[in-house]
Amino acid sequence: MGNAVEKAAEIVRGYDGRPLRFMEVCGTHTHEIFRLGIRNMLPPNIRLISGPGCPVCVTPTGYIDEAVMLALEKGCTICTFGDLVRVPGSDLSLAEARAKGAKIVMVYSPLDSVEYAEEHPDEQVVWLAVGFETTTPATCVAVKKAKEKGLTNYSQLTANKFMDNAYLALKGSADAFLYPGHVSVVTGTSIYEHLRDDEGISGVVTGFTGPEVLTALAYCIRGCEKGEPFFKNCYPRVVTDEGSPSGRAIIAETLEPVDSEWRGLGVIPQSGYRLREEYAEFDARKKFSLPVIKGHPNPACRCGEVLQGKCTPEECPLFGKVCTPEHPVGACMVSGEGACSAFYKYKL
Amino acid sequence: MCVGLPAKVRKVEDGMAVIDASGAERTVSAQMIDGLEPGDYVMVHAGMAIAKITGDDDTEAEDLLEELN
Amino acid sequence: MSETITMAHGAGGKQTSELIGGIFSKYFANPLLTADDAAVLPRPEGRIAMSTDGFIVSPSEFPGGNIGRLSVCGTVNDLSCMGARPLYLTCSFVIEEGFPIDELDHLACSMAETAKEVGVVLVAGDTKVAGKGQVDGVFITTAGVGVIDDDVNTGGALAKPGDAIIVTGDIGRHGCAILLARDEFKIKADVTSDDAPLWNNVKAVLDTTKDVHVIRDATRGGVGTVLYEIAGQSDVGIRIEQTDVPVDETVQGVCGMLGLNPLYLACEGRLVIMAPKDKAPAIVEALRGCQYSENAAIIGEVTAENKGRVVIHTEIGSETLLPLPGGELLPRIC
Repeated sequence: MGNAVEKAAEIVRGYDGRPLRFMEVCGTHTHEIFRLGIRNMLPPNIRLISGPGCPVCVTPTGYIDEAVMLALEKGCTICTFGDLVRVPGSDLSLAEARAKGAKIVMVYSPLDSVEYAEEHPDEQVVWLAVGFETTTPATCVAVKKAKEKGLTNYSQLTANKFMDNAYLALKGSADAFLYPGHVSVVTGTSIYEHLRDDEGISGVVTGFTGPEVLTALAYCIRGCEKGEPFFKNCYPRVVTDEGSPSGRAIIAETLEPVDSEWRGLGVIPQSGYRLREEYAEFDARKKFSLPVIKGHPNPACRCGEVLQGKCTPEECPLFGKVCTPEHPVGACMVSGEGACSAFYKYKL
Repeated sequence: MCVGLPAKVRKVEDGMAVIDASGAERTVSAQMIDGLEPGDYVMVHAGMAIAKITGDDDTEAEDLLEELN
Repeated sequence: MSETITMAHGAGGKQTSELIGGIFSKYFANPLLTADDAAVLPRPEGRIAMSTDGFIVSPSEFPGGNIGRLSVCGTVNDLSCMGARPLYLTCSFVIEEGFPIDELDHLACSMAETAKEVGVVLVAGDTKVAGKGQVDGVFITTAGVGVIDDDVNTGGALAKPGDAIIVTGDIGRHGCAILLARDEFKIKADVTSDDAPLWNNVKAVLDTTKDVHVIRDATRGGVGTVLYEIAGQSDVGIRIEQTDVPVDETVQGVCGMLGLNPLYLACEGRLVIMAPKDKAPAIVEALRGCQYSENAAIIGEVTAENKGRVVIHTEIGSETLLPLPGGELLPRIC
């Protein structure tokens, strides 16, 4: 254990001021915070809220329904991250669709889905394009590659999202945000300065290891003690102020912003992407003339409120009873990074 | 949301890089980083090198905590 | 002999005899294996342990082993976990039409070599051929009989608070090797399966002390799953030290890429042993002197609190629950 861990832990453990709420926005933070046991180090007057930064959790039910329809009714091969496979749709998850004969291929990278399409010219391959700024460039590189190669059996079901306006929707949910380290790699940090200066929103860019998360928490505590809105990049070994201009350029080349539905949060203006007109032939919705599908999530599920920190997973009537990682009802339970799943699996 | 893995760059060619994470090798896209060279350390996510890594977490945390006091 | 398995090889006639004579007799011959309908065996002294296990691994050949070796290890290790010296094995093949005969020959050879390592003999066998597409290559089921010394008593319900928890080597290599061999994620890494027959290792432990409460092989679901099984069966808590769990660096690298936890990856040559704390150092020393368990280590202890749960002491000095394994192991990426 390094010196930094002990020093930061001392600040965190020793806090005895007013009650504070910090929101870790990113699902990987949620996962690592639970895995490392950081919640069990916190004094009772610090509460961590797991925010909406898990693409699986905020992907609406209707999206899974679209994917299932492509697989079962349109006969497409679905290429996806493993993360999405068990997410419940209105009727079926992709895993259940697979049991009914759907072809579901798990890959590591969006680029692999293009390779798969090239190697399987007889199949219509659809990539399930979910993810935030970190993941989106790879998806864009993939569709560009498909266009260069002139593939006619490849398309994407786009549901990529970006965080800028989501922060505004979350304003007031927490005293400070642990900003997502790897999203910030692409966006840079000017957005957080703007949130601090114009909106009074505080937060720190946070890395993912024990010393990094604890140090970020120490900064949040000290910042809140001072009482002024603050921002600090606590992950400078990876995140630069300017972010990745080439990453942003790759995104802008193939995608354009649209209003987007976030599961549990509703439609957030200008918070998602669709493929640009030049890439229309790779838009699975157009290519297969998908109808507009309105998903039917379980009305008792409180995922939306959990994502905003308005209730804890344990306050949801379904949690741990009908909704478990084996039989998830809401997306926060199915994703390995979801708040409900993490609470269920790690709570001592 | 975004699982990242630190890895060392072994080879760069045609916008692609071979990266090595403790012996696990994989070819990833290098298009997001200009001037990537063998020997660089990068953060890898979903088949793409997304950033160069310029230090280790312990030292960074120590420096930040120093600054905080 | 033709070069691939045909339906005729399973029809019981000339080709079946050719197959048995050409491959199985060649490798498995011993006085107890006869052409009769059942093996006739001398009655052993003491209690008998008996177990069976089916194998359907794909691909059937992987770095560090193959389905033949695996099928012997599986049953040998199940018997060994009860403290039973494996005596006899039976095996049953279901082979897909079109399966290359030289591969079958290779699998049988591996089985014989693996059996020889622990002195177990094959006393009966069966071969069926299934139509193309009805099975994936070859499925092998083995069953085995072993004998247990009077003063040996191991079982999943026998863990006691204060027991030390030992693993016999670095974990998760088999699961990782299979994942790499399938090449679904295009990751290249030099990882070989840990599959191994472990009777000699168990014998070394029991020669050191008979005061061993639990021995279990961490197969499907990995060490994490075994720890939960024992916590439940024995109604005890389990506490492990994250940093004491031996994991090969490359396995860790692969897991990092795919967001997987090595504690849930299958092993086919690793035991979890629980024994009184004062006996543990001698057990570890004995294990470290044996092939396949050179890296044995104490990873934690059995506790009276947290019944039914597995708690990890993490690398930053805090505690958390090891998530209960469940469902399909899916990579976590986005």
